[in-house]
Amino acid sequence: MTEIFDCSADGFAPHDLKCEYLVIGSGCGGGTAARVLAEAGKDVILLEEGGDFLGPARLTQRDTPMYDQLYVDRGGRTNKDRTINILSGRVLGGGGVINASDVVPIHDSTWEFWQKHHGWKDFSPTAMAPYKAKALLDLSANRIEEKQINRNNQILRQGVEKLGWRGEVMLHNRLNCQGLGSCLIGCPAGAKQNPRMVSINKALAAGARVFVRARALQIRDATTDKKRVEVQTLDAKGYHPTNRFAIDARTVIVAANPVGTVALLRNSHLGNRQLGQRVSLQPQVPCVALMPDRVNAFDGIPQAYALTEFERHDAEVGLTGFRVESIFGTPGVLGSLVSAPGAQGKALMAQLDHIAAALVLVPDQPVGEIKVNSGRPEVDYTLTAEWKTRARQAVRSAARAYFAAGAKMVVVPAAPPVLIHSEAELAKIDALTFDPVTISLISAHQQGGARLGPDESTSACDLNGQVWGTRGVFVCDGSVFPSTSSSHTMTPIITMAHALTDRLLQRVGQPN
Amino acid sequence: MTAVSRRRFLVLSASATALAASAVGGLGWLRGSAPNVDGLRVLSDQQYRTFAAIARTHIPQGGAFAEGAVDFDLARMFDGYLADQPSADQRDAGMAIHLVEFGPLLFDHGAVTFSNLTPEQQLAHWSGWGTAGKQMRREVFWSFSRFLGLTFYDHEAVWPHLNYAGPSFARLSSRPAGNP
Repeated sequence: MTEIFDCSADGFAPHDLKCEYLVIGSGCGGGTAARVLAEAGKDVILLEEGGDFLGPARLTQRDTPMYDQLYVDRGGRTNKDRTINILSGRVLGGGGVINASDVVPIHDSTWEFWQKHHGWKDFSPTAMAPYKAKALLDLSANRIEEKQINRNNQILRQGVEKLGWRGEVMLHNRLNCQGLGSCLIGCPAGAKQNPRMVSINKALAAGARVFVRARALQIRDATTDKKRVEVQTLDAKGYHPTNRFAIDARTVIVAANPVGTVALLRNSHLGNRQLGQRVSLQPQVPCVALMPDRVNAFDGIPQAYALTEFERHDAEVGLTGFRVESIFGTPGVLGSLVSAPGAQGKALMAQLDHIAAALVLVPDQPVGEIKVNSGRPEVDYTLTAEWKTRARQAVRSAARAYFAAGAKMVVVPAAPPVLIHSEAELAKIDALTFDPVTISLISAHQQGGARLGPDESTSACDLNGQVWGTRGVFVCDGSVFPSTSSSHTMTPIITMAHALTDRLLQRVGQPN
Repeated sequence: MTAVSRRRFLVLSASATALAASAVGGLGWLRGSAPNVDGLRVLSDQQYRTFAAIARTHIPQGGAFAEGAVDFDLARMFDGYLADQPSADQRDAGMAIHLVEFGPLLFDHGAVTFSNLTPEQQLAHWSGWGTAGKQMRREVFWSFSRFLGLTFYDHEAVWPHLNYAGPSFARLSSRPAGNP
């Protein structure tokens, strides 16, 4: 197995690096692409800005160092008006290392929507089925077992079933899960079958060279057969630049999450006017319930059950409606959401073991834009009135489910917190304005910004993922989607990565 | 989720910026002197004092359990955090801290700076930042409160009060798989 090169090591300064395929970003898109290409016998280099975190010595289950090290901008990235905390991975394996391990493939109606309204003519559900199957295989997708559903998830389920609504136990990508509960800051037991554990190991075995603490700064000569990518090495914690080196590659595949991908292409003076447009953040609203008995939600699989009654799949409009999913984390991240200052906030946190929590996932229209100012990305995204209406309905539904399950109080983490003591007080939710920085919102599924399409005037990349105006610069991550792909993006991105890499290999005359 | 200020704080409203500048320059005597703090990397002694007061207000000692932010010196932790942020962010955070210090003068027409308010006055004033009409003030509130919540509740001395037994790997990894 080829080693992983840590660019933060003293004196690390490679010269004359060359490869056929340079993949920038090691998450679900980049990790998969690197592995498929390497297994096809290609000469591959994979770059990752974050570090390599495996095992209990590195994945410590502590909030402060883990958010610092595993997340982009140390967990602090927000949209321009600072309403939405934009979470994405900055670690070898990308978002798959820090997600809740939910496996939710692209619904057939979404493929049909994209075919019908976005010119994705070859992307029918039937044509994409083999790639979906490959993604599910990569993930070892399996249904969460009954005995693995913790009390937090059982509470939501109990409420949903009492109300007669539809819900489901989710698919996940864990094997031999020990219920450690710290999925959002990495699994020290290595149960997640994420890109780090699967594709990157396979890429290494197939001869790919992997560099961590290596930030791609600029792609040059994008219309020639020999592109040069300038790379910045970073210190051991990824805070500060150290050295620079360059890599020459025939083909460059950018897979750095929508924000990073758009920023790199813009900083390389690539892309048309469509680049950065039509960005979906899929904002999520946390919702907390105080239960009469102990929940101990920090133990076990955080996200196992979803209320799906109100989710809508429609080939005319794509994914809409909303879903509610249980969630929990370690105390620090919960504490960061509790906005009440003084004794009130402490009193709520002192009941942590009695708290159940959920996220309402409200699919959005791709109304955002990623811009670059002085080299730094900026996500301009404003919540629409239609989204706010659905979000209020979603929070109401979550609250109703919790009260049906016996909650003493439901709390929406706004400033001031919205405290709802019974169904009779649900109208308080209608008063949520979602004005900038009045409520804690999270984005874990950024999509769009470099969408594929048949026409240069309405897309940033062609249907093979090649950036318009370049020869051999491709995009292979969540930024290629023309609208929200699913309630969770791991499986959609891996599916697309298989499809696009297959197209790339066919393009150069290689057997699949 | 330490959403500490970015360039956003440079886009403060003109009036607030002007008031802050005049406060820092001309009314600085109102805040009084701050004790010397050894080993700070980014924050000044004054900024350290103000942030410590914010932390003490946001997560006070007493109430549901004894420990408060002051027990873990979260202001020094914030200083350490800022030391590894880009210089523009350091400047922005420093300006935000100054604005909180002079907040009672700027926004409440008071005559005493934040560090010199009573604890009850500090809580009332700081709570007002979370619901203020000016978005900039809400941004400061959320940024600082996220940092404080994350770091305080990640501290092992707090966990017994939450009935949280700490990182589970060492406790649970020997258990048969599939039984959370």
